[in-house]
Amino acid sequence: MQAAALSRCTRFVSSRFFSRLLLCAIGSHLASAALFAAEPAQPPTPWSFAPLTQPPLPTVKNITWPRNRIDWFILAKMEAAGLSPAPEADARTLRRRLAFDLTGLPPDDSTASPESQIDQLLASPHYGERWARHWLDLARYVDEVPSWLDSTRYSYLYRDWVVQAFNDDLPYDQFVLRQLATDYLPGSKPADLPALGFLGLSPTYFKELQLPPDIIKTTVADEWEEHVDAVGRTFLGLTIACARCHDHKSDPITAADYYAIAGVFASVKLDERPIVSDDIWAPVAKSRAAVETLQKKIADLKKAKPADLTSQTAALQAKITEIEKTTPHYHMPMANAVTEAALYVVANEKGVGTKLDYQMGTARDLEMQHRGNPNDTGEIIPRRFLSAFPSSDGQPRRFTTGSGRLDLAKALVEEAAPLTARVIVNRVWKWHFGRGLVDTPSEFGNLGEAPTHPELLEDLTNRFIGNGWSIKWLHREILQSATWRQSSLAPASEQADPENTLFSRSNRRRLEWEAWRDALLTAAGRLDLSTGGPAQAISSPTNLRRSLYGASNRQDMDPMLRIHDVPDPGAHSPWRTETLTPLQGLFALNAPFIQQQADQLSQRLLSLPTPQLSDRIQTAYTTVFQRPPTPREIAAATRFLDGRQQDLIAWNQYAHALLASNEMLFID
Amino acid sequence: MSDLHSLISRREAITRFGGGLGAVALSSAFQSQANTHYPPRAKRVIQLFMNGGPFGPDFFDPKPQLIKYAGQRPDGADLRTERPTGGLLASPYAFHQHGQSGLPISELLPKLAQHADDLCVLRACHTDNPNHGPALLLMNNGTMTERVPSMGSWLSYGLGNENENLPSYVVLCPGRPVRFSILWTSAFLPAEHQGMYINHSKLSPKDMIPWLQNERLSTPDQRRHLDLIQELNQTHLDTRGGADLALNGRIQAMETAFRMQSAATDAFDVTREPEKVREMYGSSHFSNGCLLARRLVERGVRFVQVYYGNGQPWDTHSGHDAKTRTLAADIDRPIAALLSDLKQRGLLDDTLIVWGGEFGRTPVSENGNGRDHNPHGFSMWLAGGGARGGTAYGATDDFGFKAAVDKMHIHDIHATLLHLLGIDHERLTHRYAGRDFRLTDVHGHVPKAILA
Repeated sequence: MQAAALSRCTRFVSSRFFSRLLLCAIGSHLASAALFAAEPAQPPTPWSFAPLTQPPLPTVKNITWPRNRIDWFILAKMEAAGLSPAPEADARTLRRRLAFDLTGLPPDDSTASPESQIDQLLASPHYGERWARHWLDLARYVDEVPSWLDSTRYSYLYRDWVVQAFNDDLPYDQFVLRQLATDYLPGSKPADLPALGFLGLSPTYFKELQLPPDIIKTTVADEWEEHVDAVGRTFLGLTIACARCHDHKSDPITAADYYAIAGVFASVKLDERPIVSDDIWAPVAKSRAAVETLQKKIADLKKAKPADLTSQTAALQAKITEIEKTTPHYHMPMANAVTEAALYVVANEKGVGTKLDYQMGTARDLEMQHRGNPNDTGEIIPRRFLSAFPSSDGQPRRFTTGSGRLDLAKALVEEAAPLTARVIVNRVWKWHFGRGLVDTPSEFGNLGEAPTHPELLEDLTNRFIGNGWSIKWLHREILQSATWRQSSLAPASEQADPENTLFSRSNRRRLEWEAWRDALLTAAGRLDLSTGGPAQAISSPTNLRRSLYGASNRQDMDPMLRIHDVPDPGAHSPWRTETLTPLQGLFALNAPFIQQQADQLSQRLLSLPTPQLSDRIQTAYTTVFQRPPTPREIAAATRFLDGRQQDLIAWNQYAHALLASNEMLFID
Repeated sequence: MSDLHSLISRREAITRFGGGLGAVALSSAFQSQANTHYPPRAKRVIQLFMNGGPFGPDFFDPKPQLIKYAGQRPDGADLRTERPTGGLLASPYAFHQHGQSGLPISELLPKLAQHADDLCVLRACHTDNPNHGPALLLMNNGTMTERVPSMGSWLSYGLGNENENLPSYVVLCPGRPVRFSILWTSAFLPAEHQGMYINHSKLSPKDMIPWLQNERLSTPDQRRHLDLIQELNQTHLDTRGGADLALNGRIQAMETAFRMQSAATDAFDVTREPEKVREMYGSSHFSNGCLLARRLVERGVRFVQVYYGNGQPWDTHSGHDAKTRTLAADIDRPIAALLSDLKQRGLLDDTLIVWGGEFGRTPVSENGNGRDHNPHGFSMWLAGGGARGGTAYGATDDFGFKAAVDKMHIHDIHATLLHLLGIDHERLTHRYAGRDFRLTDVHGHVPKAILA
């Protein structure tokens, strides 16, 4: 009993402090010292806050190499460092790299030119699936949470919305606006509401309402902080949430800025909202309310325990079943979204616990909190944007519409457009190359890394905005560059620039878990490419869908995901860390998942209508690696299968070896 | 296959060790007797990590003034921390002197007190940051920057592996410590040096280590299977220049995985211990962690970290005394058992035990009966492995708030650990992105007074 109480308390304490420590990782050692400082110096304005400039194209010696503007900037730096570009990768390598880059799937056997393939792949519905996954890491997307937290049961609608947005090439500024405030945009329909899942699926923390309000206020303030953090790091690449306790020590972000933004999140409630028109929704709402009343009656009966409990309960249950059956669309999915409602954490009526008092349809400004303590408050800070990004009147934009979500979103893509655009351009670059022009993709403040190619980032960002914030335009620009087409085999470059900060070769990259698993299923001929809909446990043997549709869980991550570097969905994750562990080796050697794919592949190979071993090996390599085997590889296979050419078990092992090999996992 | 393995080892070793330890480790990275800068006093380390941060004066640093001034904030005493705190909160536990050395230990740890003459208490430790994340990073990785290798990875890198069939660095936690895998990252060091995280809340090796067994193949068949995989991998590597660290790393990870199947099934199975031994350790998660740690170091694992629990159980912002009693009762027996057990097996002489949290706690109260984080002064202790037993080194101020005399910064602790392992902390370096990195950055001092 004691142990249980202790662990609950532990959970409470850790959720209280978890987010804050995530945020102030680097800055807070400065912060704690400065809490008592009378007159802190104003931190310098980071490079990334400046208006966009248009640098001239640099001059280069080797004018035959560049294919587009990117290459001029890249080559100029290479030449300055005495380096030459790596040769262009061969066509097969490029096709494979391109297919995984854009769709997270292996290439088909098309021999089309890389240029026409770019268009083909960008038009594929699987492009959106791949790029949505990148975004969902930032958005801390989750499918399942513990029962004591706000439900996320319709999360997949947000995931599918993100997939569609990428497939439709929704301009990035619109993409931002819709995720924060789609319900305020002209022509907004209920069906658009899943876009609000960025906020609606936010992490929430356990609130024990029997505790006094001063404790619950802290938990609620931690939730607001998480939302500020997610918005700040995702869209602006800034750690705004560091300013909860103090003015940011490295960046010109004040504590007042923090509370001006946090007020927006104090004015929204996570809520399930209907995605159908009112006339369809009204009867469903009425029926659901009726069912809720009946369920409460059942619960009360169970407490009261009358003699005829069973028959009474059965009668009520029958009514529920009837209502559910006769109401059209009764079980329709909702959007995990937000509604406008100001939250006040107050003492409950009995005066012993806490009440979360949501004042629907209203908004509130927050008081400054001394050192982030919600029980030690000061002056009220009207909701507004960051003071470092004033609007044309010289003042930060005031948030006046409802909670201010729309104003916030507009400020992100208007006043802060240069930063917002630089951040996404850099992210897309990093997702393509494995390294960013700024290699701290969610830290564009003074604590982040400086850009290795500032002029290139300016040039690309300018043109990205000029091309209507089109992500697909950006892909094309990058993928058509000579820079992207370089080989990963470049000993001189590796020697001179091990980090490849000059992009003088391609980075050999390990596939993320999702792409690797999808490739394994593809090789087995089993990948179910149907799109959208609810998630399914990733370790379920019947789950043959793309890894995107495997359920993530904030409380209990499936070990399959955990050992393969899938990030914790409880916080914004700017980049996949790559670990290499024996556990991954054990998975590759022993997991039933891999064995099953090997079984399928080997059955197919053995059933080929050919007596020749070499034909089967040929097919194996074409299927798995989209290339013919080398003589050395044929010899290895022949040795392994010697005398066992008709033995399914031997073929199982052979197929398993192909699937578990490095070539399956790495992209050149 | 063993040819391939040693080939890669040699090749990696050449790229790995620029100077200092390098030439030494070149010949010995995968042999049981690593040459070192000095004769090592310790060959392996067990770190008992009280995650959340314990309060030193409750255990090893008696502060009678806390009782005298309980409830007050004496004039002139600067007791401020990041959160609002109240008056001094008494630490109500009686202290007695123990062993030949007379080392004072509180009544909370009666069994551990019997090992007083083995303990080298560091009373004046301090760190740089009052938040868990940065403090955990400093303790584990030597800086608060997220991109540097963990201490365990440095040890594995510097000393090599004593048992090729097990990882050299294992992290045990019945759950997940806050900040999680960054705390055992190998960062820019080769990936084989990262800690292997094991959640030991379920005790069967199969539950701790997923996919530990192959349900289909006999060991010889599986070896043949793996040989084929590695042959394909070698062909793949050869056409890509042969030196790629990630490709080589995965080749090695597959080998380690193969050997782990039998080695780990044995090493991680505490039920193979005699009943008497299990009883000596007790049955809590932490008991099992300590026992597992012994089984692992006995088999040549270089560094085992045992996190006390999921999240940060020692983070007692409220109800400090009640929680501390429970926590102390839970660690006393297993730690005492671990020390006895290692001693009995002749392992304590060259196994260094490190006890502590990421920081300490305030002498003043928070939320009435809790204590806030305190990076300014806290206790740790070392035992075995060349640490001078029966010692209390350093002193905090009258209230146990700030380190005052013979202070030890985390860098000094790291330098000392490396020293005891025979490594000069200034000479275990790795060149990365144009500069030489080391665990202690540009700091670190080894106080001779704590060396046996």
